[in-house]
Amino acid sequence: MTFGLALALLAALVAPAAAHHVGTWTPRDNEISTNFKQLKFSLQARKFDVARRLYETGALRRELRAQADKLPRGLDASIRAALQAGDPASAERGLMVFFVALIRDLALEADRQLAEAGAPLAVRVVTGRKFLEAIWRYYNLVDFAVTQRDAKAAAAIRLAFEDAEESVKGAPPNPDKMRAPLKQIARVCSGVIEASSTSARRDS
Amino acid sequence: MTEARSETWLAPSVPVLLIAVLIIAGAEVGGASMVKFKLELARWARGTMLARPDTHGLVGVRDVDEQILDEALVKFDAGLRLFHMHAEGMGTIIIVSTMVATTLVRAGAFRRAIVLLITVGGAGYPLGYLLWSALIPFYGIERGKTLAEWMVWIPFGGAAIVALWMLAGALALRLVRR
Repeated sequence: MTFGLALALLAALVAPAAAHHVGTWTPRDNEISTNFKQLKFSLQARKFDVARRLYETGALRRELRAQADKLPRGLDASIRAALQAGDPASAERGLMVFFVALIRDLALEADRQLAEAGAPLAVRVVTGRKFLEAIWRYYNLVDFAVTQRDAKAAAAIRLAFEDAEESVKGAPPNPDKMRAPLKQIARVCSGVIEASSTSARRDS
Repeated sequence: MTEARSETWLAPSVPVLLIAVLIIAGAEVGGASMVKFKLELARWARGTMLARPDTHGLVGVRDVDEQILDEALVKFDAGLRLFHMHAEGMGTIIIVSTMVATTLVRAGAFRRAIVLLITVGGAGYPLGYLLWSALIPFYGIERGKTLAEWMVWIPFGGAAIVALWMLAGALALRLVRR
């Protein structure tokens, strides 16, 4: 009894030792999202020369050119032309298409990796979460632009995202259930890209 | 013990002071090294993590992996910073609390136990942060944390906490008996 009490007291005294401070981490923008925000603010301030310089020399355009084969043809040229002409709506549309394409590719890659049955469940759950975080980081940047142009598509992406999140954050997590919403995100994104590219061709 | 003795602060033994001063010196060297070799340390940690993609859950997609690496590098750096801060603080705590124990705790064995636990616990605890930082590139943030917890933080931190409660108890008893 006394020994038990002593042990309980010792455990209570020592317990705070496990509650040490280990610092915090907040997800940061990468160079592409940073460049996008700079561009967006320049466009909002109607500083088109600044926006053009930021686009010409920034990480966003480098990535856009690196991914050119997966993007609508002439996207880079259309963004440059919009910035040159001082047309923020067209520039924003081009940038939105780029990010929606990145989201689509992330959703497809996540689906492909989750389909690999060899990995342990815990690994697949973490992989799914990390992909969702990356998808949301990009979608968050263009949600307003997508909603303005296609409110149904924006709602569909958000709903599919929530479903995907539920499947890896729920108890018990089920990464297989995440695949259908990921496919849905990819499908809707492809539709947004196609519609935006068509309207861009019509406007030009 | 005479009243005159109790009114004079007594220094702890030289080995205790040496350990406390060494841990403070280690904190200063650690802090300076962190600044001096910041780039080299970050490159080493990044390279080590990239060589262990499964450990860190890297998926081969830059947009996903860069956040994982960033978090691990921030925690790696935080571990070094926390070592610097805790080693400075615990060195001082060792000196002050062992001085209080040496001066005011009368029972010899109890006093020696308090001094020993504070010195060993206080000196060992900050090293847990150094260990955690070193483990992150090899085992990941959470696994590294668990290892540091059971190898260093809980035993050494626990020893220091128990010793400080023993000291608090001894002082309270002294106050009651006055």
